[in-house]
Amino acid sequence: MNAPVTLPKPPGAANKLKSTRMAGKLVNDYWEMVWRAKEEGKLVCWYEGSSINPFLEAADIVWVHGEAYSAMLAARHQEGPAQAAAEERGYLRELCSYARTHLGCAVNNQRHRNGSDSAFADVPADEDISAKLPPPDMIISAYAYCSTGQQWDEMTSRLFGKKIPIFNVSIPWIWASGKDAGYCRGQEWEETSRYVARQLEEMVKFIEEQTGKPYPWDRLRELMGNVKKASELRLEAMDMCRAKPAPATLFDWSVSIAPINQLPCTTDIVDYFTNVRNEVAERVRTGEAAVPKEKYRLFFDGIMNWNKLGWLAEKFARYDAAVVAGRYTHMAFWQEPDLIDPNNPVMGMGQNYLICPNNHSSPILIDLIMGLCEKYEVDGIVFHATRTCRAFTNPMFMIAQEATSRLGIQTTMFEGDVADETFYKDELLNTRVEAMLEAIDQKRLSAF
Amino acid sequence: MKKHVMGIDFGSTTAKAVIVDMRGRIIAWSVSHMGAVSDAAVHEAVADVLTQASLKQEDMGRCVSTGYGRRMLDIADKNFTEITCHARGAVAMVPEARLVIDIGGQDSKTIAVDANGLVAQFAMNDRCAAGTGKFLEVLARAMEIELEEMGDIAMKAQEELKISSMCATFAETEVISLRAEGHSKENVLGAVHQSIATRTLGLVNRVGKKGPAVMTGGVARNKAAVHYIEKVLGIPLILPETPQIAGALGAALIGLDDYKAELAESGQTIEEDYEVDAQMAFDKACVTGCKGDPAEAEKNAPAVTGKLKSMMSNLQKHF
Repeated sequence: MNAPVTLPKPPGAANKLKSTRMAGKLVNDYWEMVWRAKEEGKLVCWYEGSSINPFLEAADIVWVHGEAYSAMLAARHQEGPAQAAAEERGYLRELCSYARTHLGCAVNNQRHRNGSDSAFADVPADEDISAKLPPPDMIISAYAYCSTGQQWDEMTSRLFGKKIPIFNVSIPWIWASGKDAGYCRGQEWEETSRYVARQLEEMVKFIEEQTGKPYPWDRLRELMGNVKKASELRLEAMDMCRAKPAPATLFDWSVSIAPINQLPCTTDIVDYFTNVRNEVAERVRTGEAAVPKEKYRLFFDGIMNWNKLGWLAEKFARYDAAVVAGRYTHMAFWQEPDLIDPNNPVMGMGQNYLICPNNHSSPILIDLIMGLCEKYEVDGIVFHATRTCRAFTNPMFMIAQEATSRLGIQTTMFEGDVADETFYKDELLNTRVEAMLEAIDQKRLSAF
Repeated sequence: MKKHVMGIDFGSTTAKAVIVDMRGRIIAWSVSHMGAVSDAAVHEAVADVLTQASLKQEDMGRCVSTGYGRRMLDIADKNFTEITCHARGAVAMVPEARLVIDIGGQDSKTIAVDANGLVAQFAMNDRCAAGTGKFLEVLARAMEIELEEMGDIAMKAQEELKISSMCATFAETEVISLRAEGHSKENVLGAVHQSIATRTLGLVNRVGKKGPAVMTGGVARNKAAVHYIEKVLGIPLILPETPQIAGALGAALIGLDDYKAELAESGQTIEEDYEVDAQMAFDKACVTGCKGDPAEAEKNAPAVTGKLKSMMSNLQKHF
């Protein structure tokens, strides 16, 4: 029997990338810009799910991504007032906590402007940033797979008195049932790509109606050139994490979601990922590890538990476990830059929306995950069963079974949530992860 | 050299302690019921096994803890999770077992194991106390009966009722409601145990239904739980004599491995291992009549002829 897995070690076990610190400043600058939108006379669009922000940014519309705001509040531990406001308004605790938090922001926004509409709550304080979002002038609903997405947009519309124009983009599920079907190929893929692209062209007309101006296509091409470059750099840096020890972990890539997914698509994001790529390359060259005593390599299946981002990074590092890849970080967020033609970007944008990691049939999804597990040579998979996200949690048992039968690796599951930390139970995670690491130790020993 | 090792399972409702000798044989065991992760319970269990074995804590070559309170014990040299320890303990009790179902106070788990008691895959209850000993405890209280009586009463159930709630508290409401509708205690308790069996089946499916299956944990002593689980699984459950000490035994055996490794590293002789080796050699039978002693083999070997004789002559002897 090998030495047991032990928790107590001084804090600061995770050797995070230094270059990702810039993400904090970029995120702050972005939300400051959002909060000033009305003062500056800008139009505001609320949306969730797919990264349609370049379409909006090109048209000088301020974009508010619901999940991003909820995740930011959760990461700052400021989600409480919004979630309380949503629950008081009648939204169930089991509703997607991204949606619940964001809807709470809408409720607080109304209260802030119109005075309290409740016998139970006061007008939010100025420092309560849940109330600071500018109200939308339009809503665009473009959500792959998740049925809550469209309902969320509809609920937002109701909260603002059903006076906000909405445009809906339907992103079909990829059945992959044809003989020629596969990841990004086959007749179904070609047809659904064209179907989504046509709707995006219509969405641009909707944007033109809102702005009253012709759509600036050149600006979109320029922005998508930056997105493509940033995406290529991000993937290049991720790819370098096949190195042992891994130079960066899932937690570095989680911090880097905002720059690729929702921040302004300027050269800032190219610079950001250039710096990240360079730091990762340097770490590979010098053998510097993200987890100093890397003993285990794990895959993380699930959306990040944003309230616990730093906590989990430290926890896994203390277990000497490098979480080298994940479904959320490695299978989403402009993950196929080759599909993007900056000169004619609409089709490639639609295709990237289509390959949201949950939007594939299970065989494709599982093949992609098994491929990542093999590529990064992981010892096991940790499933974060997200309590309020059925979309992500649905296939987890199937993935676990495939990981065991196909790759012979260990798996374990813990419950938590994206933005509601009351669903997270630390000791349950400890027991499950420790048991998995002990089983990995045993397997290694018995191999001798 | 110290000649004993202790394993402690500091569980959520009971504390268990086991002392084994250098050959892994149980010398003493104790179970103490004193409530949730109770210091008093663990001290009582430890004191009891030491008294039974006429030993002191200092006589232990190693002390390994497991269970929810495993990190709280100063006397433990190391700690391991319940998964690892239950797998090891269950296979020590039932060597042919390949599936371990453990229902403890706080959680229920299923573990696919190999012949050495190593964990191949495991699953645990995810969200709440449904399907655990705590679930039974809450419902025993609601029914105003003793926990120990539940199984016997439930075995007398005549009618199939359904308790669907996954939450112990809401299940309590369901139970009270069924009683208020006039259903008998027996039938309601049958439904309670059926509910546990259904939850267990879900966990078994996650690691694969590969027998032989052994059931450990305190709930294994509940006849109705065993009956209903066997029914949903469609395979019999093997029940060790003392299912509740599987975790503590596993901890002790892991401690024994660790202690022996340390002794071997420091060049110390472990007499008991020689005894085991000698026994194993004796038990071997590579040629007819040979039990590890070539001279005896020659003497006792029956006559062989023809092709068989030629094959036998090519076999390598032990020494």
